[in-house]
Amino acid sequence: MTALALPTRRRLRKVMPVYRMIYIAIGLATLYLIVTGLSWDWLPKYLPKLWTGFQISLAIWAASVIFGFLIALPLGLAQVLSRGPLRWLSVAYCTTLRGTPLLMQLWLFYYGLGAMMTQIPGIRSTVLWPYLREAWPFAVLALSLNFAAYAGEIMRGAFAGVGRGEIEAGKAFGMSSTKVFFRIWLPLALRQALPTLAGETVMQLKAIPLVATVTVPEMYAVISQSRHDTLLTYEPLLLIAGIYLSLTFLLVQALAAVERRFSLAKR
Amino acid sequence: MADRKVAVQLTGLRKRFGDLEVLKGVSLTAHSGDVIAIIGGSGSGKSTLLRCINFLETPTAGEVRLHGELVAMKPDGEGGFRAADPAQLNRLRARLGMVFQSFNLWPHRTVLENVIEAPVHVLGQNRDAAIANAERLLDRVGLLAKRDVYPEMLSGGQKQRAAIARALAVDPHAMLFDEPTSALDPELVGEVLSVIADLAREGRTMILVTHEMQFARNVASEIIFLRNGLIEEQGKPSDVFDNPKSEALRAFLAPKY
Amino acid sequence: MDFLNITDWSLLALNSPGWGGALLWGAVKTVQIALGGYIIGQIIGVCGAMGKVYGPPWLKELLAIYTTLIRAVPELILILILFYAGTAALNTLAAKIGMGPIDVNGALAGVLVISTVQGAYSTEVIRAAIQSIPSGCHEAAAAYGMSKWTTFKRVTLPLLVPRALPGMSNLWVIATKETALLSVVGFSELALVAKQAAGSTKYYMTFFLAACAIYLTITLISRVFFNQVEARFSRGMVKHK
Repeated sequence: MTALALPTRRRLRKVMPVYRMIYIAIGLATLYLIVTGLSWDWLPKYLPKLWTGFQISLAIWAASVIFGFLIALPLGLAQVLSRGPLRWLSVAYCTTLRGTPLLMQLWLFYYGLGAMMTQIPGIRSTVLWPYLREAWPFAVLALSLNFAAYAGEIMRGAFAGVGRGEIEAGKAFGMSSTKVFFRIWLPLALRQALPTLAGETVMQLKAIPLVATVTVPEMYAVISQSRHDTLLTYEPLLLIAGIYLSLTFLLVQALAAVERRFSLAKR
Repeated sequence: MADRKVAVQLTGLRKRFGDLEVLKGVSLTAHSGDVIAIIGGSGSGKSTLLRCINFLETPTAGEVRLHGELVAMKPDGEGGFRAADPAQLNRLRARLGMVFQSFNLWPHRTVLENVIEAPVHVLGQNRDAAIANAERLLDRVGLLAKRDVYPEMLSGGQKQRAAIARALAVDPHAMLFDEPTSALDPELVGEVLSVIADLAREGRTMILVTHEMQFARNVASEIIFLRNGLIEEQGKPSDVFDNPKSEALRAFLAPKY
Repeated sequence: MDFLNITDWSLLALNSPGWGGALLWGAVKTVQIALGGYIIGQIIGVCGAMGKVYGPPWLKELLAIYTTLIRAVPELILILILFYAGTAALNTLAAKIGMGPIDVNGALAGVLVISTVQGAYSTEVIRAAIQSIPSGCHEAAAAYGMSKWTTFKRVTLPLLVPRALPGMSNLWVIATKETALLSVVGFSELALVAKQAAGSTKYYMTFFLAACAIYLTITLISRVFFNQVEARFSRGMVKHK
């Protein structure tokens, strides 16, 4: 019996060493204190708004990642292919947007550009006007352009990193330049860029609360409002921290699964 | 013959990685002036054996004596051993010049700085004296012109010759060569082997793991054929190569094509 | 262009009716806070990375919890939590030792918040740098009898610095940009000054562009500086394009 029990216990200790038990206990105790020791009676009232805010947050995140990535492709390509003004424009774009705070860019677009837009004669009668009065188009624009700068830099490296040999092989089999790009260059570059791009999308998720500062009613804006109404300091902040913690965790897991799938095809 | 000093002595050496026992009790003695070549197929444990001599791998059981001194070991709490006295180990290691398969030169130091690193910072020699000695050694391996160049700028053969100069600079009791030519392009193998052969001829104590059979036959005073973690055959090169006793050695030595 | 007409460049004048002086003052605050947070953050990073690479299992896991938690929560929310929690903790402490509630110095709170966040990222940057050092370099050091400390001083550190510098220079840029988030807790630095200027003059474009230009200048100057430091430390490294 002891012969059987010993290895089991040893294996258990490997999975669950004493210090890990202590950490988990501390974590659970903290969670218990947060749930029972703090006041949560305000929460039901805000739940519907929070849910809407949550959806807005995710929608802005997804839209900015997709648009940003689409802008990033030409940005990266320009830096690899062009030697002239296109390259310098692209480099200047990436440097500028990466060198200034996203918060400033948001304010610049919403308050600055938004204010200028209203002064364009006749704009109030165009189909664009209903959107220009809203905050979210400016938020999506600023976040997309910002994401594009980071992703563009990553794609530049990825495009440059694809071996000449693979591309030459495509040409040798008579593929057109477009075909070489879409069938060889882009897929190989994407595969190489995937881990870094994935990290960038996580960063983008964490940038979403900033759009509350330009009046978009996303999740953090609801939290901010509830803090203002209830005069609670910690509870709403802890709640949103927990939500983001779970969201980041889920996103990282999902991205890791995607990466595994692609790296499986690699070898 | 019998009164020659013992440079390296291994007794009943065992090494286990998890469930895999790579060395199953190997004993060997290198007297000063011996050139021992360890041969064997891949997975026979020959590199592990060499790395156990200076405790880059810690033996699971057995004894290691360097220059007559027993390397103290103590249980590591996980069923194995580790060196009991880091100071003793480092003192003994400092006088074993090791040459690695992948050179392992320090990339942030020039060739000369690589050679004087251990003499100055481990053995505590005077820097100027170490430099003078290093220049002599670099000249000897034909690299004096490259003394101020960083390793990254050297060819594989040059890197390995620099690594040999680095090993010589500690005035080693014994030199350990771990497949010194395996990472080299074929045309660069010769320049490295000729330097090693030179050292063998001047009576350096050496233990080398190699795939170059002709070379082993020419320079070694003793051949050890390792198979599945045990010494299968051992003896003078002429005996081992010309009259292999075991079937395994015969198969190992047979032309592959 | 319209844009040139709708702004009044005299607003950026250094002296009183102009806001230029206030913006520059904000820029100095920004650099001060960023520098303080960055330096403390890097110290946390060095210690954290040492713990993560060489420490006992319990410490590794504790550090993993720290870096994971900090890096998974948006900076803005972290800043708010740490700011309020830090203020409350300091006040409790002040009450314990018999002092009345103290007005927590905004600058100090800002430095602490940024250094906590920076420390988590820096730990990862330096850990990755240590682990990217070829194992052969340490093996050779062991084979030639170097003690742990000598190995660290003569081999690990000089190989670590050029590997960590790109990440560390990136963290500096992040630190300067992160200070803008402190405007949310009312700490007066470049972003908040720009917002106040823009709000009171209604020339939003002008002031936000000016603030962006100042941030960009800080970034570009820092880049030149870090490039020089990198060139100085990357002995023997071949630059692969």
